[in-house]
Amino acid sequence: MDKALLNEELEPAIGLKNQSLVLTPLQDIKGFLFHHLGRLFLFLITCTSVLLVLLIFFFVIRQALPFLTKFSLVEFLTTSSWYPEAGTPKFGALSLIVGSIYVTLAALIFAVPVGILAAIFLSDIVSLKIRDFIKPVIEILAAIPSVAYGFFAVLVLAPWMQTKWGFTTGTNALNASIILSIMALPTIISVAEDSISAVGRELREASYALGATRFETIVKVVMPAAHSGIIAAIVLGMMRAIGETMVVWMASGNAAQIPSPWWNLAQSVRTMTATIAGDMGETPKDTPHYWSLFAIGVVLLAMTFLLNIISEYFLASAKKKAGKS
Amino acid sequence: MRSVIRQIADKVFTFLTGTSVVLLTLVLLVVLGPMVWRGSKAVIFEDTTEFRKMQLDLYNRGNPTSIEAENSETESFRKVVYETIDKFKHGIDTEELIDRTKQIYRQFGKELQYKGVTNEQYQEIRSLARELRDKLQTAFESNDKKVIKENIDYVLQYRLNEHFVDTSAAEFFTLAEDFLQSVGNIDLDKRQQYAESLRQIEEIIFRLLGPKPGQSLPALTMDRYGATRWDLAQKLLDELLWSEQWMQEKPGQPMVKIRVARAEEFAGTKLEPLFGYVQENLDKMLLPRPKFYWQYFIDDSTPGHYFGGVGPEILGTLLLTLLAMLFVFPLGVISAAYLVECASDNIVIRIIRMCINTLAGVPSIVFGLFGLAFFVLFFIPLFGGPSKPCILAASLTLAVLTLPVMIRASEEAIRSVPQTYKEASLGLGASRFETFMKVTFPAALPGILTGLILSLGRVAGETAPILFTGAVALGPLPKSLFDPARTLSYGSYDIAVGDRLAMMVPHNQYGMVVTLVLLVLCLNAIAIFLRARMFRKLRGN
Repeated sequence: MDKALLNEELEPAIGLKNQSLVLTPLQDIKGFLFHHLGRLFLFLITCTSVLLVLLIFFFVIRQALPFLTKFSLVEFLTTSSWYPEAGTPKFGALSLIVGSIYVTLAALIFAVPVGILAAIFLSDIVSLKIRDFIKPVIEILAAIPSVAYGFFAVLVLAPWMQTKWGFTTGTNALNASIILSIMALPTIISVAEDSISAVGRELREASYALGATRFETIVKVVMPAAHSGIIAAIVLGMMRAIGETMVVWMASGNAAQIPSPWWNLAQSVRTMTATIAGDMGETPKDTPHYWSLFAIGVVLLAMTFLLNIISEYFLASAKKKAGKS
Repeated sequence: MRSVIRQIADKVFTFLTGTSVVLLTLVLLVVLGPMVWRGSKAVIFEDTTEFRKMQLDLYNRGNPTSIEAENSETESFRKVVYETIDKFKHGIDTEELIDRTKQIYRQFGKELQYKGVTNEQYQEIRSLARELRDKLQTAFESNDKKVIKENIDYVLQYRLNEHFVDTSAAEFFTLAEDFLQSVGNIDLDKRQQYAESLRQIEEIIFRLLGPKPGQSLPALTMDRYGATRWDLAQKLLDELLWSEQWMQEKPGQPMVKIRVARAEEFAGTKLEPLFGYVQENLDKMLLPRPKFYWQYFIDDSTPGHYFGGVGPEILGTLLLTLLAMLFVFPLGVISAAYLVECASDNIVIRIIRMCINTLAGVPSIVFGLFGLAFFVLFFIPLFGGPSKPCILAASLTLAVLTLPVMIRASEEAIRSVPQTYKEASLGLGASRFETFMKVTFPAALPGILTGLILSLGRVAGETAPILFTGAVALGPLPKSLFDPARTLSYGSYDIAVGDRLAMMVPHNQYGMVVTLVLLVLCLNAIAIFLRARMFRKLRGN
């Protein structure tokens, strides 16, 4: 079809045939239809993403609905005993939700300072040449599959923890958070670096001209100017950590408990993602346990959706600021 | 003064930022270094004759005659080991000895019936044989050398008795003699301990040299061969030479692990020379040779990845990822083209963009749930397919997961095509469609391919989305798209935590995960290379 059209459009222009340059009504309609139908077609294809998001929400929620009608949502979200296979099953997902948030926050404690410092190093301190050497390191860190990190956590880090550092169990919240922080770092670094680099040169130069050191310039001028991008970076890193499955499944010990005392990272925890991954394989279809896993999926989906909106907001405001300056 | 502090703060800060990057590099080295090093041992190692035997049996690889020659070469050295153990065992394993005497007695009784002796004679000989048997048993069970000597001597005086010569009962006397000899220089009170240690030694020898010649072939493939690798053999040798024991140094203190030389444990016995002999002649028993086992990447494996390679896993991973790319490539490119070329900034487009971002933020395990609920249970059965995890469902799930990555990469690539290209084309009278197909798309293609390869790398490593949609740890090669497949990613998980057998073959554990990591990193390297080339081209030099 496009070939015919091509000839029709090109030939008059090139003047191979003695045709009038004015299109006939038929050609006009054809061109109009082609243009608009083509656009419509492209638009529909582009809408696949929208459709997929809707389908994801619909199908995950649909499988979770039977659970929400039979069990209390309040109990699901506020109690912490998770015994889905007991005689009278208990579905208290609080310990799982807390577990997810716990390892994520612990991971951020490691990842945020290192990530922001590294981003500053890349954007403000080293020359472009050295940057080209460091970038691949971050890219490789980001490219390593999560299951490989999990493998490292189980077979290398866990035995170290047990034998060298004297932990009772090598698979614990600390192990999971260390690995999660490594995985969140590339995201944090690249987003934070983008926003720090986007801060205008004039701001830095003005600060230096006033006699500020580099440290002062970065902390008092650049960071405040880039703060929305940095927050977005942290939120994105958090999303990466909270949605991660393999590492926490392999490394966190999978004991459904709320850590107490809360600061003791050496305890086993169990996250939402790990629960879904671990239980789904052994759960018969259409049982309360099966539905409950989808309910956890809904909680997870809601949390990441929320985080996503937050990060979008900050990214958008960072973009606006960059546009202004 | 203040300026000094400010200077110091500045220096410290610079140092800290540098440290963080150094830390990153160190982390990368710590994560990848040991892993790659240990994983490389799955491919490059010193193999033994047992490995070559296994390769011939399982994969029909190698030269049967040379392996036959190796067999006869090693056999003579191995025989000594078995003989030493057997000799020592006669004095130690009393239960086996007693069983043997019972057997002999029974057999002898049967023989006697066919010999045509009278009833009285039969009774007489049989009671004599019973007496010998009982005496032997007393000797075997006794811990007192005097008692043993008495009983054995009593038995031996019947050695030339006409009733026993050339009958099965003659074995009584060889047993008795052997026993007397082997008992001569061991501490009988230690017999229990010896027996236990001997069991361990036999187990180690079994794992080192494989099943004893003449024995029936074990049912499990992993039991049919001894140490297939020289490093494994060395580890077993260490276990053979040293036993680990938990000892309490002082009462009330925790137990500590100590290593005891088995040669010391068996000092003065007939088993003592075994240790030195094995240590010295292990290479002659196993014939180690350097090996580059490239077939690791194509070979199937025995259960638990005990022997063999990761061929099916690589195949499954490639199948899943390439199929996913097939689905996602047109979708991604068309979406990106629309977003760049046709879309204005209105509410609909903003919603679409938000959905793409949402899709990118959905946790991978939720994609797994979605794949299970939608593709496995709804979509594929809708078209008459089977409602079970399969390659098709898994690759569709992966395609959904990677769609946002693909769209973003293509968008960036299309956007990076200079406006002048398009203007030139439009100026020549080409329509927008033609301009896109003939100018923009070819110019953006390297960038799009970069995105494709990057998403390929990401998809190859994903595990969570395929957990319930099409990955298995064990199983035959897939025959159609409606079969589940083994993949490197799920295999790495399974081999790390799921499989007990795999713990015994760490090189295969690491080999699997390193194969995955290298595959992903190679894809990334290709992408980076392509991207660099594209930028050079677009810049025009």
